[in-house]
Amino acid sequence: MRRRSFMKGVGVAGLAMSAPGIILPAWSREKVKVGCLFSSSGSMANIEGRLNYVVQMAAQELNRAGGVLGRQIEVVTTDPASDWPLYGQQGRQLLEDERVSAMFGCWTSASRKAVLPVVEENDGLLYYPLHFEGEEDSKNVVYMNSPPASSVLPALEYLMGDNGGRARRFFMLGSDYVWPRTINAQLKGYLQQKWGIEPDAWQEEYVPVGHSDFQSLVNQIKSFADESGEQPIVVLTVVGNSIPNFFQEYINQGISSLDVPVLGLDVVEADLEGLDTDQLVGHLNCWAYLQNAPGAANQRFLSAWANYVQENNVPFSPDVAIDPMVSAYTSMYMWAQAAEKAGSFDVPEVRNAFPGTSFDCPSGYKIKLTSENNYVHRGVFIGSVNRDKGFDIVWQSPETTIPEPFSPYI
Amino acid sequence: MHVLVGTVCSGKLFFVHNKGQVMRRRSLNMPGAIVRVCALLFLAASSAVAQPVSEPWDMAQVVKVWCSGDRDARIASFQSLLEDVVEADGPARQWAANLIVQYRDGNLSCAQDTGYIPAGDQFLDVVTGNLVEVIPDDAATPFLNIPLRRALSPFASAVQLVAAEAPENRLRAAQGLARTLGDVPPTLIERIYQQEQNNQVAAVLEGVLVPALLGSGDADAQLRAINTLAGNATRKSRATLDNFLAQEPAALSGPVRTAAESARSSVHWVIQVSEAMTVAYHGLSYGSVLFLAALGLAIIFGLMGVINLAQAEFVMLGSYATWFVQEALRALAPGLLEFYLFIAIPFAFLVPALVGAFMEWSIVRHLYTRPLLTLLATWAVSLLLINLVRVTVGTQNLSFLTPEYLKSGFTVFGEFSVTWSRLLSIFFAGITLIGTLFVLYRTRFGLRMRATTQHRQMAGCVGVSTRRTDAMAFAFGSGLAGIAGLALSTIYNVNPTMGTSLIIDSFIVVVLGGVGSVLGTALAALGIGQLNAIIEPLYGAVASKVIVLLAVILFIQQKPNGLFPRKGRR
Repeated sequence: MRRRSFMKGVGVAGLAMSAPGIILPAWSREKVKVGCLFSSSGSMANIEGRLNYVVQMAAQELNRAGGVLGRQIEVVTTDPASDWPLYGQQGRQLLEDERVSAMFGCWTSASRKAVLPVVEENDGLLYYPLHFEGEEDSKNVVYMNSPPASSVLPALEYLMGDNGGRARRFFMLGSDYVWPRTINAQLKGYLQQKWGIEPDAWQEEYVPVGHSDFQSLVNQIKSFADESGEQPIVVLTVVGNSIPNFFQEYINQGISSLDVPVLGLDVVEADLEGLDTDQLVGHLNCWAYLQNAPGAANQRFLSAWANYVQENNVPFSPDVAIDPMVSAYTSMYMWAQAAEKAGSFDVPEVRNAFPGTSFDCPSGYKIKLTSENNYVHRGVFIGSVNRDKGFDIVWQSPETTIPEPFSPYI
Repeated sequence: MHVLVGTVCSGKLFFVHNKGQVMRRRSLNMPGAIVRVCALLFLAASSAVAQPVSEPWDMAQVVKVWCSGDRDARIASFQSLLEDVVEADGPARQWAANLIVQYRDGNLSCAQDTGYIPAGDQFLDVVTGNLVEVIPDDAATPFLNIPLRRALSPFASAVQLVAAEAPENRLRAAQGLARTLGDVPPTLIERIYQQEQNNQVAAVLEGVLVPALLGSGDADAQLRAINTLAGNATRKSRATLDNFLAQEPAALSGPVRTAAESARSSVHWVIQVSEAMTVAYHGLSYGSVLFLAALGLAIIFGLMGVINLAQAEFVMLGSYATWFVQEALRALAPGLLEFYLFIAIPFAFLVPALVGAFMEWSIVRHLYTRPLLTLLATWAVSLLLINLVRVTVGTQNLSFLTPEYLKSGFTVFGEFSVTWSRLLSIFFAGITLIGTLFVLYRTRFGLRMRATTQHRQMAGCVGVSTRRTDAMAFAFGSGLAGIAGLALSTIYNVNPTMGTSLIIDSFIVVVLGGVGSVLGTALAALGIGQLNAIIEPLYGAVASKVIVLLAVILFIQQKPNGLFPRKGRR
């Protein structure tokens, strides 16, 4: 009797265990998997973490509207912990084990460079939502944001022009990895070739990623500013939590945007959350989206995000939206559109469907992909910090710009 | 509106009534100016009697230019406002000063044909002088770009300097002008300087006048300016002197040149010394941060040999406790909000201490004999705490109020300036060091702790409850980390993962200082801080990390037990 009931139990258990194996494949044919590669821990967590949720929000919206090619989207999230090689490793898992049709991921260029060989080897798709240094055009990556020619250079030109205060001296401060170093190399080439500015007009400093103590560097900025009568600016390419730490020290040492304005290339609304922005008014940034972008598409996006945060108890602020969030959100729609157009989730076919896809982005521009390269055509915004922990739009391009992946200044 | 005029400007109305019909009509033709002044007086709760405004401004025009005029028109408007203010008297001056300062600070909202500035809970329509509860939806603050703000700022300071009566406001205005004089005419400043009663303000104004005096070509004026520069040894002064000396020899008379040269060399020397002091101070302040973060670890690691990887999360908990105190004060006692940093001290200590005690009781004490497992367990606790905070409070950086007394800092001499927030962290480090030494060497608990550290079995034999000592020491060490969190909250940003960058540096400090030695920890923290501060400006922040680590490795190789090795047997 005992033995029989034991056997019965084993039988039931065995059946139960094999059942998912029988049921799941049939069920998962209904769902299409996509992957997220954004850190929820480490130095980048505060800003990158938001992107996981916004991708899920886009998937939820698409699913409610019937999915893509009649199939529901399932988002697989990971946590590469702000550790660059880990992005590559987890990207490989997503592609080889989870068999995702597309990945949305990476903030820093260092992490993208870690994923790049993996997506190329597996012929996967990575949607990359950040503006970056360019100098790359892989058929396996969709560059959702702008290369320097349509983000950094317009902002620098603005600061060097009459409306920006005619900056002629440049303190370049960045985190020590590929993005800041390449950006600064391009800037130096640009200043020399286009403006004939001599190398003694700039100073270049790098800090380790995650650096938090900026007192000595801010002091160096002060003495750099005093060296000459010409207008100095700081070109800031530090990333992650170094940004608010830098600004905190800038406030503490009493430097205002009237003395030395900061052009923060990676500074987003979310970085200002803990800071006293009364002291930061006038510092600038440049992106393809700012929260204050005019238009109904932006209002729709902002209220959708606020609702999503409330409904799902997301641990981020419901009323802060940043460019990479919008870019990641838009990525999902761009991918869904290409897949619908291709009638398939196979990467080569989706890729062939790219040219001509477009989307009414919350930034107010109709962004699009052409057959020329995998760079999305975006608009350009230059923002200036205001008292409400946001950015006023100082300037925006009349149309989307044609991306130039490779800089002539390097 | 009439009631307002009647109550506040009764003097004015009397004046109008007595003088009869003509005056009344005149005042009705331009009621705006009078009412505005009256409203302002009303706001300031001033008891001064309203005086006639000699130069009423066409506010509609001013607002139009300020809200949407081009740069030149705006600067011309600032210029004429400044001229009018110099001519005008009492209330009109106050009115203009308030208006331009509000405009500079981004408080002027532009609407159709008018503008609003905040006035207590209400808004003042600057054209009609009416107080309104809400401003129209389409009213918006005009965006001022950097060149405009640069042009506006000296004018706002100059108007304030003319209008303000309180010395501290005049001083602030003078300091604003010292940054740049812009398009403000130096002759005006000279005139104000001649009449200035307050010595501090006069001293600042002297500096403002330097470029004008140097350019005047008059030897006496130039000597006066050189004297001022010599007394104000900044890099800016040095650059001014350099430019002055770079002129053609014929342009300078002999005594002026000698005076300028000697002033230049003395300024240069002061700058050199002050820059060296700055480096030393940076080292001290970074060292104090390291010390605060490492002290708790030194006690826990030193006493029990427990490698507590959750230590940095206690720092984070201390910061969060501080934030909660701030928010509680904001809600319950806004009057005390300015002092939240001091009110938070017991909470920042107790919250992590209690969590630490609980952690010791529930996890660590079961693993005392298995150090590798404590490492894993405390790491797990650290992850748990990070994610617990992330889920309950959120991932964003917390916003801390910087109290008025901690804003910016002061110049000690030359280019050596000190920020209050850093000074506070040095102060906290000092107090913590003294407090810890007192506990360790002057209390029974400290005695038991030292005994247990030196020889656990022997201490147990003579009746020390090593169990209880362990638990208390763990709580004490956790609480100290909390104090570090409090001190760091005004310097760094506070978020759930803030601790992760501290933990490695803390371990380096503890190992270098000699495990368990408080003074060793202090000395090691100071040493690493200084080394960092010296190397960073020379070779960059990346290299300084590498060099400091190499130096620590070499040192540990020579003295494996750190600066102050523990005496006695283990």
